[in-house]
Amino acid sequence: MRRADPLARLIDALSSLKLTILCLALLMALVVACTLAQVNLGIHLAVERYIRSFIVWWSPAGSALRLPIFPGGGMVGGILLLNLIFAQFRKLELSWRKGGLWIVHIGLALLFIGEFATALFQVESNMAIEEGQTKGFSEDYRRMEVVVVDETDKVFNDEIGIPDSLLKTRAEITDAALPFTLRVREYHDNAALTMRGAAAPSIVTAGIGAGMSFEPQHPVTADGEQNTAVAVIEPVLKDGKSLGVYLLSNALGAPQGFSLEGREWKLALRLRQYRHPFSLTLKDFRHDVYPGTDIPKNFSSLVRLQDAAAGDDREVLIYMNSPLRHGGLTFYQASFGKNDTLSVLQVVRNPAWTLPYLSCLLVSLGLLWHFGVMLRKSLGERVA
Amino acid sequence: MSVKRLQAAVFIGALLLAAWPGLVPAPKSDFDFSAFARLPVLEGGRVKPIDSFARSALLSIRSKQSVRFDGKTISATKWLLDSAFKPDYADTYPAFVVDDPEVLGLLGLPQGKSRYFPYWQIEPKRDEVQNQAAAADKIESGRRTRFQTALLNLNSRLTLYERIKNTFMVSGQGDPVMELAAFSALMPVAMRAFHSAKPTDKDIRTMKALSEMLQTYKFLAQAGAFKALPPREGAAADDWTNIGEALSDPMSAQTPHPGLASFALMGRAYRAGDAAAFNAALAEHAGWVARYRPEAARAARAETLFNDCAPFISGMALYLTALLLVFAAWAARREDVAAAARALAWAAFLVHTLGLLARTVLQGRPPVTNLYSSAVFVGWASALLGLVAERIHRKGFAVAGAAAIGFSTLLIAHHLSATGDTMEMMRAVLDSNFWLATHVVAITIGYSSTYLAGLLGIAWVVRRHIMVKPDPEASRALSSLAYGVIAFSLLFSFVGTVLGGIWADQSWGRFWGWDPKENGALLIVLWNALILHARWGGFVRERGIMLMAVFGNIIVSLSWFGVNMLGIGLHSYGFMDAAFWWLSAFTASQLALIALGYLPPRFWIEREAR
Repeated sequence: MRRADPLARLIDALSSLKLTILCLALLMALVVACTLAQVNLGIHLAVERYIRSFIVWWSPAGSALRLPIFPGGGMVGGILLLNLIFAQFRKLELSWRKGGLWIVHIGLALLFIGEFATALFQVESNMAIEEGQTKGFSEDYRRMEVVVVDETDKVFNDEIGIPDSLLKTRAEITDAALPFTLRVREYHDNAALTMRGAAAPSIVTAGIGAGMSFEPQHPVTADGEQNTAVAVIEPVLKDGKSLGVYLLSNALGAPQGFSLEGREWKLALRLRQYRHPFSLTLKDFRHDVYPGTDIPKNFSSLVRLQDAAAGDDREVLIYMNSPLRHGGLTFYQASFGKNDTLSVLQVVRNPAWTLPYLSCLLVSLGLLWHFGVMLRKSLGERVA
Repeated sequence: MSVKRLQAAVFIGALLLAAWPGLVPAPKSDFDFSAFARLPVLEGGRVKPIDSFARSALLSIRSKQSVRFDGKTISATKWLLDSAFKPDYADTYPAFVVDDPEVLGLLGLPQGKSRYFPYWQIEPKRDEVQNQAAAADKIESGRRTRFQTALLNLNSRLTLYERIKNTFMVSGQGDPVMELAAFSALMPVAMRAFHSAKPTDKDIRTMKALSEMLQTYKFLAQAGAFKALPPREGAAADDWTNIGEALSDPMSAQTPHPGLASFALMGRAYRAGDAAAFNAALAEHAGWVARYRPEAARAARAETLFNDCAPFISGMALYLTALLLVFAAWAARREDVAAAARALAWAAFLVHTLGLLARTVLQGRPPVTNLYSSAVFVGWASALLGLVAERIHRKGFAVAGAAAIGFSTLLIAHHLSATGDTMEMMRAVLDSNFWLATHVVAITIGYSSTYLAGLLGIAWVVRRHIMVKPDPEASRALSSLAYGVIAFSLLFSFVGTVLGGIWADQSWGRFWGWDPKENGALLIVLWNALILHARWGGFVRERGIMLMAVFGNIIVSLSWFGVNMLGIGLHSYGFMDAAFWWLSAFTASQLALIALGYLPPRFWIEREAR
């Protein structure tokens, strides 16, 4: 019997068990593809392409064509979530016998929502602190920013950061605090910088970049690789007068800038920084090994946390499996360097971090409940 | 009643058989090898008996825990003593297993007659092996050819053997007692000479002699395979030293470590074949250790007993016998044989359990810490599940499944143990007993139960084709068992996976990172969920569920071992090439079984009848 009402049919389809099975199978295929792709693409890009996407695209080698070949993790997960919710309310009666399944499905829905929220809201950055150093910001791994700094006052500098997303989409950037406009002539996520031959022409006219040329390249994605981003920026006064064309890159350490009406301005391109309303001071980093071997036993950072607003000034030991959670951020021991005097903390902002905990609890209880009921029934039948 | 008595007899007999190696006294010998085997040493970051080190070293060099030579079996400890004190003699033991034809070609050794070669036959090409290995080492591990991998492997085994030869003295040269005495006598004279304002010619000669000796000891300190000297009285518990380190330690000049003299005496006596002197020096050292480091001595003694009992080897034999008995019971339709098989399977499980407990206690860790112990635990949990399931449906399937998985996982574990110390220390991020006890155990139980369901599926397929009379009741019993096991498996694999996510959130800052191992675990969860939903929706019936359960075997195996073969990701702590072939063969066999399940029952006999 086919229902005529298209809405009813849609709801039927959305709540069908067949759809559940299809989605589970598709999800398995995606997971396998994502795992195998990691060998060549690196984990970040493989996840972007197969899991955190709505559609999996495929470009035949050497062509600009982009063909949709498979639903992505976002689509399958979304449909599965809808399917779960619809099936829940249409198929399952609310009874003690089915109570376990209700709890399981609520738990699963939370898990999905948590993963979606993580994909949308999670921000990861790094904080590298040397022993004795104090830091109030962390740096992104991949995203860049151009900063304009007013260095007139030697003690307090004003900084204005422009994220790479803006640099890629806007031709001109203005800010009320700036007496000039920034014209973005070029921006590349990754490029090879070389010293320029005297003969080769360049649009860059000011700063050390004038002696250099660059060749845009494919961005790298593998873990541990770093892009060399390049921005060609031209500050322009309100009357249209150019202050020179600058080449900025995170690979160039030297400051570049100019004076304007008695103020010192500096331009730079660097990994994007996130300012935090508190600071960490690294007091001690330890790298313990098992006796007589190089096998690492533990890494730990003893930090002093100072947060004036929250009234916090205390010492915290961050070590393996024991992060610091403060101000909506979580600090993990991630890496180290400089002969064990530098500690790298991973800084994660994920508002949804508690959802999996809750979900795990619900699903475990629900499954225990449900299978317990089933086992009792099955044993009861055998006795009878 | 008589069946009960038969069962009791089989059970107790099996246990006695398993306990035998621990109960019998060591074979009579002039040298007290077993006391030497029990001496604690520090190696790989943990205190262990020499026995454990010798066994795992020989296992990696020869793939066996003993050497066959001149028709005699030489224990790992004797092999180690010979290597350390009589290296010229040990060089003639056929201790190196070399299989790769290209490596044999490089060494100029004959192919075919024996896989085992003595060191002296390899020695002429030692530099060549070293150079080739250095070249191969520069290539990324995934891109090496089979020859390069085999060569690197041979090189590391040769290096291990050479380090053992230089642990107590430099390759068996000289008389260790005389040398130690000369060093002790020289030291104060040389120190005086060193501080004198106007050194005489004799002073300079003395200082030169001392510096030569110190050079040798520095070499020993570098080369030694393990640290044989426990920390002195009052030193930190981690401060173990090897012979070279103790000799080149400035403190040694005034008061040498008491163990130095003991080992020197043992060395001289062993070389001279003087058993009484060897035993006396050994007893002296063992007594010192027992007095000042009683905890190390106790731990080493317990571990040696565990090694001697080898519960997983006897468990393996008992499981196999139980499996064969189940087959015999089916063939002969004898209830008493089936009962004996059940008793034997329980005995095997008890031995397995005791072994697992002993490992847990010795290591002070939850049962699963590496690939080896995961295999032991998967077998244990499957066997337990199977034996419990057998109590619900007494058809013999579950007990056969329990015995088959118990046997094969212990066999896999036995082969995995050749890669080194099975109680290796945990790398920093894994160093968390709480998560090892929850996440890892839950995941491993998930593996076990999925395998058990798969094995029930296989039993179902095989029965379909070999049973003369269809027995729908037994088939139903099998599939309802499989269904229960899959449900159980979903619970544990889901909980284990999410707990893993929570652990990852605690240590790496993200709940879920789509890392290969995580994906493998997720696949098991998804597959079990898919089977259950397909059944609830009525899309598959008995056959569908059983065949899907068989496919579950492939998914678990890929998740368990296949992920390690990708060699990427945060979890790749057990990389292995050799298993690739086995994994492919296993996958193919499971696919063949699934195909068989789709064919009509007893199809070949019908064709004959036609």
